[in-house]
Amino acid sequence: MQKWIKNRFIFSIPSLIFFIIFTFVPIVLIIILSFYSWDLLRPMKFVGFQNFKHLFVDKWFWNSLYVSFKFTLLSVPITFLLSLLLGAFLQNEDKFSKIFRAFFYWPYMIPMVAGGTMWKWLLSTDTGLINSIFIRIGLPLVSWLENPNFALFSVVLVQVWTLTGFMMMLFITGLQNIPQELHEAAIVDGANKIQLFWKITFPLLKNTNILVLILSTAYCFRDFTIVYIMTTGGPGYATTVTPLYIYQQAFSSYRIGYASAASFVFLMIVFVISVFALKAQSTESGDTI
Amino acid sequence: MIRKIIVIILAVIFMIPIFWTVLSSFKTLGEIYQYPPTIFPKDFSLEGYINIFKNMDFMRYLWNTLFVAIISTIFTVILCLTIGYSLAKGSFKGRNLLSNTIMLTLFITTQITMVPLFVIIRKLGLMNSLWGLIIPAIFTPTGTFAAVQYMKDIPNEFLESAKIDGATEFQIFNRIVVPLSKPLIAALSIFSFTWRWNDFILPLIVINESKFYTIQLALSSLQGQYGVAWNEVLALAVLSIIPTLIIFLLFQNLFMKGLMGGGLKY
Repeated sequence: MQKWIKNRFIFSIPSLIFFIIFTFVPIVLIIILSFYSWDLLRPMKFVGFQNFKHLFVDKWFWNSLYVSFKFTLLSVPITFLLSLLLGAFLQNEDKFSKIFRAFFYWPYMIPMVAGGTMWKWLLSTDTGLINSIFIRIGLPLVSWLENPNFALFSVVLVQVWTLTGFMMMLFITGLQNIPQELHEAAIVDGANKIQLFWKITFPLLKNTNILVLILSTAYCFRDFTIVYIMTTGGPGYATTVTPLYIYQQAFSSYRIGYASAASFVFLMIVFVISVFALKAQSTESGDTI
Repeated sequence: MIRKIIVIILAVIFMIPIFWTVLSSFKTLGEIYQYPPTIFPKDFSLEGYINIFKNMDFMRYLWNTLFVAIISTIFTVILCLTIGYSLAKGSFKGRNLLSNTIMLTLFITTQITMVPLFVIIRKLGLMNSLWGLIIPAIFTPTGTFAAVQYMKDIPNEFLESAKIDGATEFQIFNRIVVPLSKPLIAALSIFSFTWRWNDFILPLIVINESKFYTIQLALSSLQGQYGVAWNEVLALAVLSIIPTLIIFLLFQNLFMKGLMGGGLKY
């Protein structure tokens, strides 16, 4: 005990207690619960791999993973390009850049429930602003959130809206770390601005690019709130992402064990993403803790 | 020039939802459903806001949210400082293992562990209690990461000379490390408050009695009802972003720099 105190381990203990109870135990519990059948009322029943067997043939679970991937694969490239563009445009420390950075960052600060609500209002079929503009310029009314073809696109739009400002800041930091001499040399060689950006600046941003890609993948892949608020997964299952499917299985159908099996599969995917993310993060800062 | 035009157009697009919501929240319910829509409220009305105070227990939700956000923040700061000190300046066995394990969980958020988390919170008797929103959330790997990074830069000589002067470990922490960490404490407090204020998933799984609703939960449940009064929903949405807006305007630089190189949400 004496030695522990001297080594400052004791200062980790309060955090460790909370870490174990609310992060470590839940992860272990996902695995344990996934072998049981439990509706919270009757006693738990051990069922072995049955939950996984059912999960494997559950078309709506696979659909939810498909929707999650689609949602992510649509959101990430748009976020990436938009935030790269804004980062490049707002990297200088002049007044214009500083003011406008705030406009793009602000949506990231807003509670997702409020952000989702705002967009739901804007996109509503009869009274939404977007549709009244559409009517005025002669386009047909679009049921943004009720039409399966548009609903996913709508939630992607909101995800991009919330995330872009944050990713823009990562790009600005990355851009500001690039030494200016390289640019000057290229200008002397007669490169124009666009060539300069794609041939010199962009390749030098490699670490930031990876960081932005992985962070936004992680964010989009686990999104729950935007979808819950805007569409509650509908119409049908068109926007039911995996976290929402897990939520419905656990808290609407009370299939705790089954939802845990689904969580386990989801956890494994997120785990792979986070290993990549940590690698990227440590290359970015040149530092693992 | 082209650069500025593109930026301004995009900024307008980004701001439309917020301004449109704020403007519409001051319209009467009739005007809200009017076509073509008015941009500025024709009859400036506080109907939506008044109804929120009249039809729902807004003050209680506000109190619940503030209570959770403030108490969580205090505990979060204490936990981050202690573990930050331990991991940044300690040399015990398994320190790297502990750091790496915590870092690996940076991405394991409530969205992923909600089912077992619910089971644990229920077992601990914290369902339908504000403590059920506080206790599971006060340890954050992001804050820990930030604290470790910050404290690494505190010179070891400070700690050693205090040790030579006969200070105990707790005195070193309390009289040297904590005062030197004021900027870190400020940043952690602001971030933690915003995280808790904006949180939705934990309230959604822990709370089902309306007297324990937080503002985010109230805003979400208002939309689940039949015959949504949009002016009330929009008014509540506006109220729910005000604290975030104030904090953002006051500490803009801090947020823009992020808590660290690759700052993370939650």
